[in-house]
Amino acid sequence: MTMTTTLQWPLVSQHELDFDFLAFGMGHAGDFGLGIALARPERKTIVLKGDGGLLMCLGSLVTMGRYAPGNLLVLLMENRTYEMVGAQPLPPRVEFTALAHAAGVEGGGATGRGKVERITTIEDFEKALPRLLTEEGPHFVVLPVSNKEPLPPVNHKDHAGRIRKLRKGLGIE
Amino acid sequence: MRKATGITAHRKESATSERGASAVKTLAAIKTLGFTHVLMIPDSESRLLYQVIEEDPDIQLITPCREGESIAIAAGLWTGGRKPLLVVQITGIMEAGDALRGCGLGPKVPLRLMVGWRGYGGAQAGRMPIDSAYTYTEPLLNAWKIPYWCIMGDEGLPMLELMDRTATETSFPAAVVTGYAFRP
Repeated sequence: MTMTTTLQWPLVSQHELDFDFLAFGMGHAGDFGLGIALARPERKTIVLKGDGGLLMCLGSLVTMGRYAPGNLLVLLMENRTYEMVGAQPLPPRVEFTALAHAAGVEGGGATGRGKVERITTIEDFEKALPRLLTEEGPHFVVLPVSNKEPLPPVNHKDHAGRIRKLRKGLGIE
Repeated sequence: MRKATGITAHRKESATSERGASAVKTLAAIKTLGFTHVLMIPDSESRLLYQVIEEDPDIQLITPCREGESIAIAAGLWTGGRKPLLVVQITGIMEAGDALRGCGLGPKVPLRLMVGWRGYGGAQAGRMPIDSAYTYTEPLLNAWKIPYWCIMGDEGLPMLELMDRTATETSFPAAVVTGYAFRP
């Protein structure tokens, strides 16, 4: 997960396989997740990333459309702003599902079964989640979100320690 | 051969070196070292290496759109227990600085890099103007504190093993630098 998600996710989960990508390279959480998904096909890899972050690395959609394996699930938090740095607006006409389609994600990925969808309510997301977690992908899901709560403080330290903790959780170290 | 410490050292090496390593022999060295994936974006000097890797069933070739992606994917592969090699022209390192900082140097991920030194051959031949990519290559690697060794011909291929071992022992990125286009 990256950006605003990294502040909120620890409030609901502290699992050893959670990985906060903040400060690990602007816009590249999906690429990092793609690498893990390729390395560990027996696991589901879930990426939570922001729409602003995706704009920083749009080519990654094309790479996903070509290489992403069936165990990769990308959840794009679409709040139409660079929320973490002051909620400056994104270019207003950008359409993320259309970008993913044009990048070849739908019907693409390494499986040729990539899926692009936009889920607009929490109820529909709860309904779709069991499918998204079990169905062969890769999946690229756009989730329109808004946040009215103050953001928790940033806490990103010990980058080397955290990446090794993740490797330990994966049984590598 | 030794760790390169400056342009003078490279010039002395190249004077006795074959101009460019064999792509087939380079691939063999990559496989001997147990690399599982190669991430590279084609460029004119590495195209023959790209070709032999693409045709090899034992190595997975990944061609992202830009080098920052390559570096982040490689970091994910390493985190998941695989062993990727990044083949990147120095101009790609310039583009991917934040990814290199965030996914390699900061978290101490032992990224293995094969960096194409664009403009090296022209500079050695005295062709003008000097490619600025040539000029900035060594200062840039030194600024990142990335140790590197040169491969200017087949006799330099053992440097791959030294680079690989250094990355493992230091848990930090390490590089080999190729000064000429690959030969068949």
